[in-house]
Amino acid sequence: MDILFGLCGKGFVILAGDTTVAHSIVKMKNDEDKIKTLGPHLAMAYSGEPGDTIQFAEYIERNLRLDQIRNVHERRPEASASWIRSSLASSLRSRRPYSVNILVGGFDISSAAIVEGQEELGGTPKLYWLDYLGTKVEVPFGAHGYGSYFALSLLDRYHDPNASVEEAMGTLKRCIDEVSKRLVVSPSKYKAKIIDKDGVRDIEIPV
Amino acid sequence: MSIMQYNGGSVIAMKGKECVAIASDLRLGNQALTISCNHEKIFPVSDRVYYGLAGLATDVDTMRQRLRYRVNMYTIKEEREIEPETFARLTSSALYEHRFGPMFVEPVIAGLSKTPSGGVEPFIAAADLIGCLNFAKDFVVAGTASDKLYGVAEGLWEPDLEADDLFETISQTLLNAVDRDAYSGWGAIVHVITKDKVITRKLRGRMD
Amino acid sequence: MDGKTAPQMRHFNPYSDNGGTILAIAGQDFAVIAGDTRQTVGYEIQTRYAPKVFRLNDKAVLAVNGFAADGNMFVKKVKQKLEMYRHAHAKDMPLRAIARLIQTMLYAQRFFPYYVYNILGGIEEDGSGAVYSFDPVGSYERESCRAAGAAQSLVQPFLDNQIYFKNQQPIPGGPPHPVHLPLSRVIALVTDSFTSATERHIEVGDELEMFIVLSRSHPQQSLDPRLNATEVSTTASGEKVFVIRRPLKRD
Repeated sequence: MDILFGLCGKGFVILAGDTTVAHSIVKMKNDEDKIKTLGPHLAMAYSGEPGDTIQFAEYIERNLRLDQIRNVHERRPEASASWIRSSLASSLRSRRPYSVNILVGGFDISSAAIVEGQEELGGTPKLYWLDYLGTKVEVPFGAHGYGSYFALSLLDRYHDPNASVEEAMGTLKRCIDEVSKRLVVSPSKYKAKIIDKDGVRDIEIPV
Repeated sequence: MSIMQYNGGSVIAMKGKECVAIASDLRLGNQALTISCNHEKIFPVSDRVYYGLAGLATDVDTMRQRLRYRVNMYTIKEEREIEPETFARLTSSALYEHRFGPMFVEPVIAGLSKTPSGGVEPFIAAADLIGCLNFAKDFVVAGTASDKLYGVAEGLWEPDLEADDLFETISQTLLNAVDRDAYSGWGAIVHVITKDKVITRKLRGRMD
Repeated sequence: MDGKTAPQMRHFNPYSDNGGTILAIAGQDFAVIAGDTRQTVGYEIQTRYAPKVFRLNDKAVLAVNGFAADGNMFVKKVKQKLEMYRHAHAKDMPLRAIARLIQTMLYAQRFFPYYVYNILGGIEEDGSGAVYSFDPVGSYERESCRAAGAAQSLVQPFLDNQIYFKNQQPIPGGPPHPVHLPLSRVIALVTDSFTSATERHIEVGDELEMFIVLSRSHPQQSLDPRLNATEVSTTASGEKVFVIRRPLKRD
């Protein structure tokens, strides 16, 4: 099962996921990017049933793109996450539900999201934890898969909402290292993306 | 493991003298794993009607959206705020629509209804997941700590409590009940609805 | 195969659940051990008077809840052992020794357990009130209050609040919370616990049977006549044991 992490810092949010695609006991692929960019300031990390994940992620990606073409204003992270949630929730009671778990990371650049005294940040980082049932929660940090059993307690201890990028990457590294140390079937490689006022981009995980 | 216990959480409402109180815990979990410690389960309908939803978190969200839509339609058509009892009936019929494939939520409703003389009357109600209403004259409970809530509330509650005493009673009831429940806890939120204001307080319980 | 083979019972379940609730609270120099008297199977009331609380000697009272047949047999065997002890040592077995005896007897049945939750209450050799609670296979602990049985989940959090003052802050600068409550308060809490449990649990009701054990160091050696208590202790010089019976709702 795949592992996803997400955490907010001061003016940014980081998403990370492992890069393994496995069928049964066999590793099929070692460089899969499980994080999709959904908009100028929006990305999502997804895991779950292979096939469902890609199908659902592309459906979300294309529909949010369409929304972007139709509307002048960028859709805010809360609104995007809510739409993803309702897609999952209606899928749950359909003939064949998608089984996909998601972390949505976004950076809210709307004027309402600019915090007084912190105008230089250009908005507010947002992270949403969604599971295949359509459960949606806004969290300061979140995790999916077996990684969550190790990472959440670490993040309880080390997460700082005012952390710099370097500090947040250090915390992320702690989580990854803990999983490598304690999980029997731990993945070898991770990819991470950062979302801030400048948009979505890849970020190197420190060794 | 019942689907009603998948995410955990508990809600309670109590009547007082010309006031009502409604409270919930703040945990959201995936079975035994806690995901969030700031998950509110109580929502306002108007200044004098609040409701809480205990049960499966995805259905809590969905029901909340559906009820908001229905209440908005009611408000537009009737050109007035909804009465708590009307809201309870509305909730009940929304749930019963899914009689044979239910939404896994148990609603708890608290509000002040208007009396013909211009005063207010406290109102509480709860329903099961298919909308069978229970209009109680003392208190109603729902969620994973419901049996504990019944026990403590039955021992602490008394009729005609003033707003501050009602706050203390509902807070003590909720905190002590969720402390004996592994699926509820991590703090609580309490709303006391009186005729001229709503007092909302967050409580820190034992955070484990 | 002739196709007429009689149906075979695949599994026999030797246990059932007879409902009811028990509760014990220890004070500084007394103990109160109580239980309701309703005995049920499913929705059926088998009897409205089946005692679950038993006087073992003048300083120990045992409450047994769960599967009634096992409970009755267990109490019978404990009483036999206590009588053997009295014949051998010419004195009653002390409370902490009874607690350990119960553990041994329960664990002896580890792989076919007595399906009962035991709560032992009484007076220790040092004169203090004590409550010991057990699980069906003998894990035990000395506590100052414990509820068990069908309405445990209703009663125990109430006791946490009222006995241990959980979630209650003492008034700043005022006195701290008392460690032990007076007998009158404990009796009131036990009564309230059972009326509450009766109100909300279908397996609890009919009658409340409350045993009170007073240490020799307790200032009063008799109970308020308004409590309508019956003395059941056997010697004038030892600990005093009283029973109070109160009606509970029968619906």
